[in-house]
Amino acid sequence: MNKLIEIKNIVKEFDGQRVLDGISLDIYENEFVTLLGPSGCGKTTLLRIIAGFLDADDGQVIFDGQDISGLPPYKREVNTVFQKYALFPHLNVYDNVAFGLNLKKEPKDIIEQKVSRMLRLVGLAGFEQRRINQMSGGQQQRVAIARALVNEPKVLLLDEPLGALDLKLRKDMQRELKKIQQEVGITFIFVTHDQEEALTMSDKIVVMKEGSIQQIGSPVDIYNEPVNRYVANFIGESNIVDGVMPCDRRVIFDGHPFECVDGGFAPNEEVEVVIRPEDIDIVPPEQGKLRGTVKSVLFKGVHYETIVETRRGTSITVKMNVSTDQPVVNEEAGELIDADSFYLDAEDVEELTDAKIITRANAQAWKKDTEEGVSISKISYSIRPENGRYPVTFRTAAGTSITVDMIVEDANRVQSEEYQEEIYAVNFSKSVDDIKESMTLDNDLMVWADASAWSLAPEDDGARIRITDVIYTFDWETITPGVYDITFATQGMEYKVDTTDRTEPGDVVGLQFTPDDLHIMKKG
Amino acid sequence: MKQFRSMAYPYVAWISVLIVIPMLLIIAYAFTVEGTAFFQGQFTLANFARFFSDAVFIQVLLRSLRVAILTTIVCLLLGYPAAYAIARAGKRSTFLILVITLPTWINMLVRTYAWVGILQDDGLLNHLLGLFGIGPLQMMYTDFAVVLGMVYNFLPFMILEIHTSLSKMDPSFLEAASDLGANRTQAFLRVTLPMSVPGIVSGITLVFLPAVSSFFIPKLLGGGQYVLIGNVIESQFLTSGNWSFGSALSLIMAIIIMLSMFLTRRLDRNRGIDV
Repeated sequence: MNKLIEIKNIVKEFDGQRVLDGISLDIYENEFVTLLGPSGCGKTTLLRIIAGFLDADDGQVIFDGQDISGLPPYKREVNTVFQKYALFPHLNVYDNVAFGLNLKKEPKDIIEQKVSRMLRLVGLAGFEQRRINQMSGGQQQRVAIARALVNEPKVLLLDEPLGALDLKLRKDMQRELKKIQQEVGITFIFVTHDQEEALTMSDKIVVMKEGSIQQIGSPVDIYNEPVNRYVANFIGESNIVDGVMPCDRRVIFDGHPFECVDGGFAPNEEVEVVIRPEDIDIVPPEQGKLRGTVKSVLFKGVHYETIVETRRGTSITVKMNVSTDQPVVNEEAGELIDADSFYLDAEDVEELTDAKIITRANAQAWKKDTEEGVSISKISYSIRPENGRYPVTFRTAAGTSITVDMIVEDANRVQSEEYQEEIYAVNFSKSVDDIKESMTLDNDLMVWADASAWSLAPEDDGARIRITDVIYTFDWETITPGVYDITFATQGMEYKVDTTDRTEPGDVVGLQFTPDDLHIMKKG
Repeated sequence: MKQFRSMAYPYVAWISVLIVIPMLLIIAYAFTVEGTAFFQGQFTLANFARFFSDAVFIQVLLRSLRVAILTTIVCLLLGYPAAYAIARAGKRSTFLILVITLPTWINMLVRTYAWVGILQDDGLLNHLLGLFGIGPLQMMYTDFAVVLGMVYNFLPFMILEIHTSLSKMDPSFLEAASDLGANRTQAFLRVTLPMSVPGIVSGITLVFLPAVSSFFIPKLLGGGQYVLIGNVIESQFLTSGNWSFGSALSLIMAIIIMLSMFLTRRLDRNRGIDV
């Protein structure tokens, strides 16, 4: 194959913002090339530079051995299919398609022949006299393709041409475009943000991010051997886990060594391992290379998207003291007041405020007959940052009061070396009614236990980490007084598995994969 | 939607009082015997017969149409490039539109009267021409002065209408034309111009309509001898007191205008532009 377009170090800035940062790319004859990336990655800008609608600030576009950087669009041997088609509304289908040929002053009969041949190619024979606004989106799309192709360009540029079509039509057009490209045998440069579209149609995919190229390769290469996390995530769904390669063809991740087919890394180099969800099979627990618990199952039509957790995240268990305490009643004022004892550590004592005490003790007062809230006007306590019990009294303006304990204990924290995170929670006391009345129990349990987790990684600066699991064994509807364990945990090691096997959340399963299912990428 | 329907009633009433009823009155007057009082006379076609049998009136009508068409053509030739330049001026176009509309803030009569001072025999223009040894030229009371006055007054309408249709044109149409091999001239002739036809049509409408029926511009710049159909109608109402003949003339004008608008719209539709 001959090199048709050579893009050399193209730089483009808009208002000081660099949208293309030194792009170099070779495009060959008869190739279906896709520029793939999210919006704002510069793919359309690059296309417009090739078409000649924009000038690059730096770099060259070499076309067929000649530098065409300064050439206006109408002198370039490329044609474009625009995102919104840009069909001329004042011309009918025939005149739209014949537009370029009329400009070249070709003989009428030749134009007629070419136009009708092209309309037949895109399946619109007989539509010559139709007005553009009488055509559906899909038909307009075909007219736009015919209008560009009839000029027999060496390269056809397509700027997200299928974006405006519905799913069914888009799939049909994908197949058709590929067919047309093979039939006319010219180079297509196709811009899209749809990875599936790119995988279906392309000979070569160029993955772009923020104005630079991440990876160039065939769909299979890009899918199976993504060079980095960005590409792996953009092309299909992936499980990406940290690992170490002690030597070639061997990788350690999730605490176990595995055989793989990659090599060429330094001994004990840290890597990232990509496992595609469809490459993992669910097997009985004793037969799997990894073992885990099913956390969720989503039905996706052809398969179940199953999340399997092989290891729990950082977790902490606290005690919940459930009592039958009733609110204190003040008959005279017609008011009730309620509060719970709560736990805290010496460090918290320093940061204690009235508002915090009210929240942690869940202190509230209300009118007996109307249930209208009454504000707590006075909080009296004395506390020292030492372990012990310290009474606190809440009082309303009418004199209704309740006294509970603030219990200072040693901090209850769990650090995880591996996940580089820390989780914190405290024991707490609640009444049976509080639990039964809770609308969002998991969330309330987190508030009552003051549970939180944060990152210990130096670059994260103590950023909060979400607690994803609240685990308990009681049934809130029938709970009786007593002491219960509650475990809070962050997200652990999870694998997404696309499988046709039906499992239920909570099932213990094994995960099976082969050495060539593991794709090793450089870290970073 | 139903509850909003009742909100249209004031407008229906408004339109009936200010448009429909006066129109009906004009028709009623046109077909009755002359006089200023309503329904003094009986049904007659004499008012129309008088118009078509008198060569003077036909001449006045033709002169009015000639002046209006000339005005429209001049406005189009001046207005299109101006509108095109404004549409391509980017951020400054708002300012330029302001400049175009600025004179209309001042009463039309006053602005037109100012031209008398410029055009008269010892006026500003003749003074300037005198510096180059030309003139003095007789400019007042000619076709030139009347058309100039009309172009001056009605040009902004043409520019605004064309500018509106040019500025809402998606630039990707020009890119497509360029992509298909059109240089700038070809792209203009084959895409920009045909796609701005709706603007041209509304511009023509907005210029031709007031131009064909204007009476104070010919009166001020054309002098007492320069009579257009608008002046005849005015004099029938204000001087001669013949409301019936005035109404008949108005009706004839209305029909001519309607016909010409219909033809212009046809031009638009044949272009197949759908805006």
